[in-house]
Amino acid sequence: MNGLQASINAFLNWLEHVFGKGPSPDGQSFSEALLGSLNFWSLLEGTHLIVLMLFAGTIMVVDLRLLGVTFRKTRVSVISDAVLPLTVYSFIFVVISGTGLLFAKPIFYYHTVWFLAKMLFLALALLNIVVFHGRVQATQGSWDADETPPRAARMSAAASLILWTLVIICGRFIPYDVYQCGKAQPDFINWVQQCKTSEKGEENMAGQRFDSQMWKEQP
Amino acid sequence: MSSMNLEHFFPQAKAWVDTLGDIPPGSWVKGPKFGYASWEVGHIISLIIIGGTTILMNLRLLGAGVTQEKPAEVYRNLRVLQNIGVIGIVVTGLLIGAANATKLYDSSAFTVKMMALLAGIILTYGVSRPVAAANGAVGLMPKIWFAIGGAIFLTGLWMFTTTDLIDVGVYHVITAAALILIPVTRGRLRWGYIAGMAALIVAQFVHTHFVIKPDDYDHLNPVNKTYTALYAVWIVGTGLITLFRNRGEEGGPLTKLMAYFGILVWVLGAAAGRWIAFQ
Repeated sequence: MNGLQASINAFLNWLEHVFGKGPSPDGQSFSEALLGSLNFWSLLEGTHLIVLMLFAGTIMVVDLRLLGVTFRKTRVSVISDAVLPLTVYSFIFVVISGTGLLFAKPIFYYHTVWFLAKMLFLALALLNIVVFHGRVQATQGSWDADETPPRAARMSAAASLILWTLVIICGRFIPYDVYQCGKAQPDFINWVQQCKTSEKGEENMAGQRFDSQMWKEQP
Repeated sequence: MSSMNLEHFFPQAKAWVDTLGDIPPGSWVKGPKFGYASWEVGHIISLIIIGGTTILMNLRLLGAGVTQEKPAEVYRNLRVLQNIGVIGIVVTGLLIGAANATKLYDSSAFTVKMMALLAGIILTYGVSRPVAAANGAVGLMPKIWFAIGGAIFLTGLWMFTTTDLIDVGVYHVITAAALILIPVTRGRLRWGYIAGMAALIVAQFVHTHFVIKPDDYDHLNPVNKTYTALYAVWIVGTGLITLFRNRGEEGGPLTKLMAYFGILVWVLGAAAGRWIAFQ
């Protein structure tokens, strides 16, 4: 295991099992307390899904306007000025609830391919927003009232729809254990999930097992 | 209330329900590696489509969101998406429901979700859409449908609030009601509302962490219920002010009340649906 990987694992282990734990041996870390809470974790997860309804729903309307599918008679700026504040407002709640969920099980998420893919698509979706605001929107004055905006705007909107859909798909697949460290699975998945460094170790499709030395060294 | 599930209403159907997961279409959904999860994704995306578009349409009736266009224009542009969302919700819901029938048959949260779905369809198609199409004017039929859909919605909400193990989920509906008011209110009313809400949250936190110990459940329960009632009073009170404070929106208090219900009913459906997994 290289030094970076060892540092990441040590940090995740500290975050999940040590951070916030008092001197009592029976004490819980903040992460364990959140996951084991009577109702708070469930409320957090429910909030993440419900706020997604407003967040993704409003993004979809703006993207469909840019694609020339809906609100064709309305200026693009009218739709984006009216709808995007709601998107930003809901995104704040999506991020807060999502961070809370990640904090409750950081080791599990780090070794889950769907979560890693979700983060990748999320980063690409955010990059797409930056590109749209930096480049495509610079010329918006000339096409703001067009029923069908120019190709660059439509490409950006299509990319946005696809990327946010992929974020939702990967997010929904996280709880399913189709790919899980310790189970026999393709080498690529084992590599992406860094199973060799996980508590459950790695097993490839030929049945060969590799157990992490790090977890064996844990007290 | 202990449980109000389908088994309670239709006990004779249990043998049939138990077979649904093993015969098509339930077995088709469960069979492939990613089958169930894929249909769940379809269900969530449909919920996003119907939820997002009905929120925008009803916010317009409340004088927020796309205010530069008439409600009729907002409705005209969103109606096809709403149809896609509702068809998607029903089709994917039937499929994942068939694969998971035994669990749903025994779930109070599922009963609430079905009531919310029925009320949501009535309040969207019978009330919000015709009212938006008429630029806020409320005819006789929307009033009748509002009475029916509103009664089903409130009954579902009452069941959600009073059924053991799922009652906490009602916080989602309260939170949504609280958040809707932020874009709907204006000026001093908005800031006063936010300040009051923040004060209640801080007071509840201090009360349930320092005055009462967090593991003293006997005392926590009544205190949390009292705060829930205080939140509801604060939110409903502010909501009532927005109903009767006309700032040039189309329609009167009844139009706005219908719009509030039109949003919250889908939140109730989504919350109850999520709470099926936690029950």
